[in-house]
Amino acid sequence: MNFSYRIAYVFFRNLMSYKRFVLTTFLASLIQPLFYLITFGIGMGAYIGYFGGKPYLYFLVPGVLITSVMMTASFECMYGTFVKMVHERLYDSLIATPVSAEDAVAGDIAFAAFRGLVSGSLMMIVAIFMGILPVSLVSVLLLVLLMIIVGILFASLAMIVTSFAPNFDFFNYYSELVITPMLFFSGVFFPLDKFPHWMKTLSLFMPLTHAVAISRAIFTGVYTRGLIFNFLVIFILEVIAFLIGVRLMKKRLIK
Amino acid sequence: MKTIITAQKLCKNYGKFTAVDHISFAIEEGECFGFLGPNGAGKTSTVRMIHCVSPLTSGTLMVNGMPAHIDNRAIKKMTGVIPQEITLDNDLTVRENLQVFAHFFDIPRAEANKRIAELLKFVELESKRDSKIDQLSTGMKRRLLIARALLNHPQIIIADEPTTGLDPQARHLVWQRLRQLKNQGVTLILTTQYMEEAQQLCDHIVIMHQGRILKAGVPAQLIEDEIGREVTEIRVSIDQDEKLLATLTPLACGHERVGDTMYFYCRDGHALMKKVVELDLPNTVHRPASLEDVFLKLTGRGLIE
Repeated sequence: MNFSYRIAYVFFRNLMSYKRFVLTTFLASLIQPLFYLITFGIGMGAYIGYFGGKPYLYFLVPGVLITSVMMTASFECMYGTFVKMVHERLYDSLIATPVSAEDAVAGDIAFAAFRGLVSGSLMMIVAIFMGILPVSLVSVLLLVLLMIIVGILFASLAMIVTSFAPNFDFFNYYSELVITPMLFFSGVFFPLDKFPHWMKTLSLFMPLTHAVAISRAIFTGVYTRGLIFNFLVIFILEVIAFLIGVRLMKKRLIK
Repeated sequence: MKTIITAQKLCKNYGKFTAVDHISFAIEEGECFGFLGPNGAGKTSTVRMIHCVSPLTSGTLMVNGMPAHIDNRAIKKMTGVIPQEITLDNDLTVRENLQVFAHFFDIPRAEANKRIAELLKFVELESKRDSKIDQLSTGMKRRLLIARALLNHPQIIIADEPTTGLDPQARHLVWQRLRQLKNQGVTLILTTQYMEEAQQLCDHIVIMHQGRILKAGVPAQLIEDEIGREVTEIRVSIDQDEKLLATLTPLACGHERVGDTMYFYCRDGHALMKKVVELDLPNTVHRPASLEDVFLKLTGRGLIE
């Protein structure tokens, strides 16, 4: 592994290109989560009413927040990176400079996490406008930190997929078979405790479950000991996914 | 003259396919060194190992006293690469493309801006500085690739088929710029399938075919040794060969039949031409020998797929 400060240069390159379509991405990254908030939160929430002493939206917002980070970071490292690698051959010219393949991939992961953070933060702002507030200012800062960590995790996982994707269609498998199930089995929309045992076990293998649990705890300020486990899962998986993602991408880039 | 790049028994395999097969060569500082060969000869694979983006399978390759290796940032730092494909950043403008690359080379902002202004002038793209990449013609894109390769004041420039797909004007402009760089003392490494390009630019060439070096030398000398000075092409049907060869062979130093054409190679073509005029052969061309003749003689005139 050959990392250097040049990761920042790659990040900066992505930022420079981002500024051209920043407004459209704001819209794109807001629409789906907003859709969840309105349909589930307001529509279904009206039937559900209170949930652990608070309106349903308090349950939903921290989950949707993390979901939007997951989506944005994943898609950036799939479609975004794939275009740069295969269609524009940008990586080829990048690694001919002192920027190493590892720097380039890590720079893309960092940028995907940044974009995830932007979508998540937009979501949080919308929620705040709707009157759904995190419990304290410290919670807001911790949520920002969590969004960065979760963004890097899902960006790295997506990078692994991109490292052997032959074409765009391949990403459908990942989003249909991994991302979408996670959305419904990770306790984003409803608590998992009514699930049968095997489904609960299954959900433990989904990183989103742990991320949502942490997010909800920070949002409401109710911390339990189980969170340490959630955090360890996220952290360990993140380190592994990052290293594997970078290694596999390097293998694809350097022949 | 100091040797800046040496390769010994260099090999490159992609899986079971051997792209470069035990080649050895030496490149002197400040010269223009050409790798010639048909598609798939191993030229690009070789130069990619020189500028450290492709690992060696075996053999040694030293660049400016350092072993070439994919993580050798020091070699990458002193090298400028004009790639075969257009790998510009389509999301950015002309100037931003250069700014981002200046960053990659750790060039401070003020110095980078000065350098970018110089280079845009050098490749005659000043008026396009704020254009998006898709607004440029192919020739402009190639020139921008040249500017990008020069940002770091490279000591070694690698130009991988730099004029593919260009119109004659743009091609000559690229050649002029490359010659100008060579005059400034830069070592230039060129891969090309255009023999005219190699003749225009290179001090030394190697002709590659199927991963091996078939011949190495100075272009003019290679032509003289392999072909002679002059070539007479006679378009004539095969059944007249016997008659033709009987009269003309003693006057030429070699001949070759390819398709509908008979080629005679001569050191001095006067006597042969006299005979040709006597025989009154209508479809005849008499011309100086070129690198293309050497190339075709060595790699065969048949199609290479």
